[in-house]
Amino acid sequence: MDTPASRSVYVAPSLTSALDALDEGGAAAAPFAGGTWIMRAPIRHELLKPRYVAIGSIPELHGIKIDADAVEIGAAVTHATLAAALAELSEFNVLTAAAGRSANPAIRGMATIGGNLATTAFAAADCVPALLCLDAEVEIASRGSRERIDLEQFLTMRSTLAPGWLVQRIIVPRQERKTAHARLPLRQAGDYPTAIVSLAVSLDDVGRVQTARVAVGSVEPVARRWERLEDALVGHPLNAAKAAHAAAGLADEFTGRDSTDVPAWYRVRVLPGLVRRAAAALGS
Amino acid sequence: MGLSLTVNGDHLTSTADPITPLVDVLREEFHLTGAKPVCREGFCGACMVLIDGNPTPSCLMPAALAEGCDIRTVEGLAVNGGLNPIQAALEACDAVQCGMCFPGMVVSLTHLLTTRPGATRDDIRAALTGNICRCTGYERIIEAALLALATT
Repeated sequence: MDTPASRSVYVAPSLTSALDALDEGGAAAAPFAGGTWIMRAPIRHELLKPRYVAIGSIPELHGIKIDADAVEIGAAVTHATLAAALAELSEFNVLTAAAGRSANPAIRGMATIGGNLATTAFAAADCVPALLCLDAEVEIASRGSRERIDLEQFLTMRSTLAPGWLVQRIIVPRQERKTAHARLPLRQAGDYPTAIVSLAVSLDDVGRVQTARVAVGSVEPVARRWERLEDALVGHPLNAAKAAHAAAGLADEFTGRDSTDVPAWYRVRVLPGLVRRAAAALGS
Repeated sequence: MGLSLTVNGDHLTSTADPITPLVDVLREEFHLTGAKPVCREGFCGACMVLIDGNPTPSCLMPAALAEGCDIRTVEGLAVNGGLNPIQAALEACDAVQCGMCFPGMVVSLTHLLTTRPGATRDDIRAALTGNICRCTGYERIIEAALLALATT
């Protein structure tokens, strides 16, 4: 077992103390939220950090604030807590499903939303595409600094973020929209999804799509928007069969990631079916 | 400085590295071998313990973060030396086969019976999503949980 004597875990009582500890630890330190990814480092043949700053007990990171204009989610909110908090808000069905159906009940009680976004190497994170289709923003913090950036931008920079930073909260704007989350795990539950489609649309008075957001997760190493499909949906009534047909014509823009359990081509092949399921869930 | 852990009501100390998975401390230092380190990924549930009452895969819990918590392993679930209701029902329904997954099953189902006395068959299946059994096919386990729910 890889257990250098110098390793430490500091349980931060406040955000300030966590940021101080991360700053002082530099590259040797990292935030530790739910730990469901970090604790599996030995299986991935990765070295653990010498110092972890546990942020799961910090009150400032545990809040969920639901206002008329936005929902703010603290980074240490667990999947289970998030799913329960948003269950009655239908505009967030996509996020409720992402948080409430991923992994298994015990993991959902440990894994945090901030960890889901910050774990660069975890391609199958459910909440990432769900938050992409909701136009979420991320607030990151370091000692003496705060930045609020689009989730899309955060995903491009997270692997090169300097030591000392952590995700503080996620801000999701509230809009009149219908949303759905479709995922394909190899087992019915408790497994990583092969592919994920998250969908958010707003409709005009006669039922045509005014705005569309489609995000795809688990197919490529990093989740991303499917903007060509979004363009194809806008201006037309939302129809599950037609949406799947459009998806089939556009799916070649994805390059699936290969793995021992799922070949690359399969992740791409199932996308039209997931688009159909997501659109059908919205009553189309 | 050692770690101070409360396991099944006993105050115990450990000299393990703070990031050591709790399951390893339980088994190797405290000799509580009910929790099994099988997948070490949080998938299989064989290492499930209750942390402050919540089912938690102890392979993913650093020992340092369990300090100050009430840790309860399968060894601590018996009532006054006898089987608890789910343990008794599992025995009555002849639901146990190889036994590798069963400590985790008992932990998850004990929590379900405690927190959701009106649980349905689907609730039981959902609660066991993170407990994998490769022997039984689950049906006898579910029947045992239904029996325990009906008789407690």
